Amino acid sequence: MDLFLPSLGFGLVTASIIALAAVGFTLQFGVTNIINLAYGDVMTASAMVAYICNNGAGLNIWLCLPIGAAFGALASLALNRGVFVPFIRHGASLLTIVIVTLACALIIQNLLLAIWGPNFFSYSMSSGRSVDALSMTFTVAQLAIMGISLAAMFAIHLLLTFSKLGKAMRATASNAALARSCGIRTERIIDLTWLISGALCGLSGVVLVINTTSFTAGTGAGFLLVIAAAAILGGIGRPYGAMAGALVIGISTEVSAAYINPSYKDVVAFGILVVVLLIRPQGILPGSTSEKGVTT
Amino acid sequence: MSTAYQFYISSLLIYFGVDILACWGLNLQIGVAGIINFAFVLFQAAGAYTAAVLTLGPAVSPANGGFQSYIGGANLPFPLSLLAAALVGALLSLVVGVIALRRLRADYLALVMLVVSQIAVNVVQNQNNLFNGSAGLSLVPEPLTDVVHLAPLSLAYQWFYAGLTAVICLIVYFFVHQITGSPLGRALRAIRDNEQAAAACGKNVFLLRMIAFVVGGAIAAISGAMLVLFIGTWAPSAWLYPETFVLLGAVVIGGGGNNFGVMVGALLVPVAFLEAPRYLPAIPGHPELIEPLEWIITALLMLLFLWFRPEGIFPERRRRFPRSAPARDLGGPV
Amino acid sequence: MTAGPSPGAPLLRVSNLRRSYGGVHAVDGASFEVRPGTITGLIGPNGAGKSTAIGMIAGAIVPSDGIIEFAERQVTRDPAYQMARRGLTRTFQLSSEFAKLTVLENLLIGAPGQRGESLWGALLGKRYWRRQERALVEQARDLLGRFAMTEKEEEYAGNLSGGQKRLVEIMRALMARPRLLLLDEPMAGVNPTLAGRIAGYLEELRDGGLTMLMVEHELAHVDRLCNPVIVMAQGKVLAEGTMAELRARRDVVDAYLVG
Repeated sequence: MDLFLPSLGFGLVTASIIALAAVGFTLQFGVTNIINLAYGDVMTASAMVAYICNNGAGLNIWLCLPIGAAFGALASLALNRGVFVPFIRHGASLLTIVIVTLACALIIQNLLLAIWGPNFFSYSMSSGRSVDALSMTFTVAQLAIMGISLAAMFAIHLLLTFSKLGKAMRATASNAALARSCGIRTERIIDLTWLISGALCGLSGVVLVINTTSFTAGTGAGFLLVIAAAAILGGIGRPYGAMAGALVIGISTEVSAAYINPSYKDVVAFGILVVVLLIRPQGILPGSTSEKGVTT
Repeated sequence: MSTAYQFYISSLLIYFGVDILACWGLNLQIGVAGIINFAFVLFQAAGAYTAAVLTLGPAVSPANGGFQSYIGGANLPFPLSLLAAALVGALLSLVVGVIALRRLRADYLALVMLVVSQIAVNVVQNQNNLFNGSAGLSLVPEPLTDVVHLAPLSLAYQWFYAGLTAVICLIVYFFVHQITGSPLGRALRAIRDNEQAAAACGKNVFLLRMIAFVVGGAIAAISGAMLVLFIGTWAPSAWLYPETFVLLGAVVIGGGGNNFGVMVGALLVPVAFLEAPRYLPAIPGHPELIEPLEWIITALLMLLFLWFRPEGIFPERRRRFPRSAPARDLGGPV
Repeated sequence: MTAGPSPGAPLLRVSNLRRSYGGVHAVDGASFEVRPGTITGLIGPNGAGKSTAIGMIAGAIVPSDGIIEFAERQVTRDPAYQMARRGLTRTFQLSSEFAKLTVLENLLIGAPGQRGESLWGALLGKRYWRRQERALVEQARDLLGRFAMTEKEEEYAGNLSGGQKRLVEIMRALMARPRLLLLDEPMAGVNPTLAGRIAGYLEELRDGGLTMLMVEHELAHVDRLCNPVIVMAQGKVLAEGTMAELRARRDVVDAYLVG
């Protein structure tokens, strides 16, 4: 019991970060059918932008958060409009698009490497004092992260369920041609989806680094594995699934890390993923059978 | 030709041969069957590690420095270690294929394969007694040195090994050629183009994909084995996922679905990639810029090709069937 | 030739077929038969469940409930590739040609059970599968001749016009010498001249003994080709009969107006 609660605490923090990232990632797939392998690298770039504001301009890191989010939003939109959509219009197959996203990922990551070098960068910040809650210990920063994540999840929930935009997004996700014939301007919806998911991407990138305090050019790409696992777990394309998947992966990896070799965290994620794929490839959430990720 | 130049050329030929092998395997999976195997390097690594641990002696032997820990260590002679590597590659492909291929759509599969390969790197890096962790394996003895009576690391041995690689390439080419030119190859291409329609034509999509996946995986393993037996070392840094991207570049740029095109691609991409630092002028004050620039250029090239010429330099051949006259013209007696 | 079903028995029988997606019942207890030697029509408003029913019969979609019998044999959960090998082939609503294969190769794919398609067969090489291949090429060229597409033999299927792609799909489905051919809106989006040609081919095929089940929206085509005609609405079978009989029925007319 000694180990369990503190690790559960870590798990909740990790889950919050993964959830932020995974929801954005899965939205991109759900609405536009693109598995964006450059997602992790946009996270890193956003974290870098926040770093520049923080270390360079001396802003408090929490003020840099929205700047990082904004960068993520704009960068993701630019990526889609500037690269992905032209390729799709050009007649590229699914396979080609995946390779395109991977090429973009490599370009972004290596640009970061070329400009800033292979070093580690740290935010100038303090994590704040420790707070005890329910026998778990959190720093103020970690509490803030969880709060931000919860707020963002709630906002997404409101958006998808109640707003006109959300409904349009869901319609476009399930059948773009049909949505268009119902008068939905799918192009604008897709733009907005990338802006929103991009904001989540940027936000999660900065938040990730706030939690781990330092990063390098490959940090985001390395995190992509965990994000993808959470998204797949919840049923790729389904935001609530991504949240559930994030919770499962975040908590189980941290809790198991407390009891077995901690460098195996990712392997635990793998094991869960494999088991889920074997039993239920459409994800752990109930409801979806004829699925996007599954062959008919 | 000076000795140094000969060393250079012979090792270049060996790297080229190893890359061709890998590209043929990847081409079978991606170009012909349409399976986006982003974990391809994983199978190369499996072959390399298998060949390495089987060729090395037991881990505690002082002959290999006594500082590595790994499983296996059987001092196996050459053809056996290669066959074992191919077998391991095939088995690993079987396991991964059964899990991933059965129910996943093409691009979803790509993502899962990426995840799988990252995790494998993680496991090997952290589980030190498997394959010596991040440090990797080294001092793998070169094969057949006592059979051909050539000293390892000598020029003569390098030419010998280049010849050996060429022989392996011919054998693998036979397999790849037979498959792509047969009704099996045609069925795979149909599955690649439209899986649902292929199933409606009586093709067992899962089974046929598994064939391409397993054969491709075995070839990948052979490529890895040939490489490790030459350079003598192998570590996780050799098989991170960007390495697959280089091979992918070769297939796309050279010409997916075309075994000859892929050979040219192997020359243009991995080999050029490898050799570029030698020839490019060092950017004054920033020698470490070369590698990221290489990656950026390769990625940009990929994008350009995917846009302007996705079929590659040498597109897939159009299959023609000769008009039948008497039975003889398709070759041989009926 | 294998023995056919006993005379008078339906070639295809669908009983209480059901397919649900979450709370939506795309097909909700549909039962009908297809008798040999007919072109049976399957019509109904949008969302009636016709394509889902075809998908289940063809083995592409797994039914939630119900029984499918083909040639008096239960095939309810058999996957698509097995149905094709049993002699049930289909065309698709959206063009489903193999774009990067030539027209001739497209047809060759349609033939099941090829020797050269196993790994062993491929490795044994041309000498092993050459004879069967040659026979299939002849069969394919024969079809190309009948459908007047001989000069397109070496063209990539992806470069054809929409109507030509339809023809290729039909020919491809015929390569398996099927007992039942499922046609999912074969004339959709095709110009009237070509549609007329296709209709002519289908009549010839029927006269030659091929049984077909055809989903179609254009009632003019249904009039010309189909007898009997099954009407589906809201996932169930509403009525069955000749077009004249159906036109006289109030509930059929209503279903079309509402749906």
